[in-house]
Amino acid sequence: MNRTRVFRVALMILLLAILTAVAKNAASQQQATTPKPAAAKAATNESEEGEKRFETNCGRCHRPPEALSPGEARTVVRQMRVRANLTAEDERLILKYLAP
Amino acid sequence: MFVRFLSFLLLLLCSAVTLCAQVETPIISGGVQFLSTTAGGVTTFNPLIAPVVSIPIGDRFLIESRGTFDEFIFRENGTSGPYHAHTFSSVDYLQLDFIANSHVTIVVGDFLTPFNIYNERIGPVWIRNLADSPLIAGIGTRTSGSSEGGMVRGVAVSRKNWQITYAAYFSALVNASQFGAGRSAGERVAIFVPSTRLEVGMSYQRFLQHQHLNSWGGYLVWEPRSAPLELRAEYAHTRGGQGYWIEGAYRLSQFRGPGSWLGRLQAVARVEQFYLGTPSPDDVLPGADTQKVNLGLNYYLPHNLRVNGSYGRQFSSLGNSNIWNVGVTYRFLFPLLPGGSK
Repeated sequence: MNRTRVFRVALMILLLAILTAVAKNAASQQQATTPKPAAAKAATNESEEGEKRFETNCGRCHRPPEALSPGEARTVVRQMRVRANLTAEDERLILKYLAP
Repeated sequence: MFVRFLSFLLLLLCSAVTLCAQVETPIISGGVQFLSTTAGGVTTFNPLIAPVVSIPIGDRFLIESRGTFDEFIFRENGTSGPYHAHTFSSVDYLQLDFIANSHVTIVVGDFLTPFNIYNERIGPVWIRNLADSPLIAGIGTRTSGSSEGGMVRGVAVSRKNWQITYAAYFSALVNASQFGAGRSAGERVAIFVPSTRLEVGMSYQRFLQHQHLNSWGGYLVWEPRSAPLELRAEYAHTRGGQGYWIEGAYRLSQFRGPGSWLGRLQAVARVEQFYLGTPSPDDVLPGADTQKVNLGLNYYLPHNLRVNGSYGRQFSSLGNSNIWNVGVTYRFLFPLLPGGSK
């Protein structure tokens, strides 16, 4: 199989996966516009908001670390504040999630 | 290597002892990897440990450093003969951070060059999805991947639906064995949309020694909330050449959950192309136009252990080759001092 063909097939598979994800994302955003009073109430909890901020920022590169002490969590979040450009509000809420 | 490793730890340990009474705990984290690579029929082994030491000082300061200690094991005649090993050690970065406020953090010392995203954010072995670095990883980062000097970074503007982040730096020419860097200045600016986890950014660097040259690039990172998909792409251009890579990774956690045997599996694909420009001796770029396809599987075991395998096919006028990688990676995090966990 020549290299152009292999490359095109790989590129097509990748583009297909991207298009599928785009379509799914659009569908889920439409669903998200439907009011959900219970979910809205729960989101007021700072720890849950911290989990959201973690998923939004830190979770893009890695999963949450296992079992951190409060002192370790403070150091990790400060390090990530520099590396991932977190705001002071992000830092405070993510700490609530990692070390409640 | 062992003496350097001990000296490195001892230096940081001494600093940490004086700080152990504070609320934040100094930590040592990072990754350990054992990688077997077969490229063009020749198999090599590469055990590696990359510890990251983080020592907070007061409310606003942080000392952080990463070292890499690895060994390259190969057979004398490629596929036959006795095994030999070369060991390498390097300090990837050693920096002092001062967090002034949400908008400004000042970094001084030896820091990873913030050109695009691969070098600074997804390069560590416990984060990267594929063992091989992209073909264009050398653009904007030169040979060492780090800069010596000062950097200002942070969130320029933060709104509910979008953020603009930035990093601007100046690096001096340093020829020290563990802290080599070129004289350069550069910046990275990005816009991030938290609701869709979409980030688009661009980078520019002016290299200011020998022949002055510009490097610039752009990147896109998208992790939709609706699916466990990671999409990352970079483009970079310099006098020595230009190229791009697009990487998609899909974890099968939608089937039976992330903790199930199937949900722990992640499929990865990356396509990349490099076009040769006017090469210079300092470049760490391919010597000819190159195309590469990588397909990989990662399996996330409990306790931060990951098994990864990948197959790559590289097409180049210098010769086509198959590249197989099989490895295991462990990500660790401990308090730096005994009894430091509190």
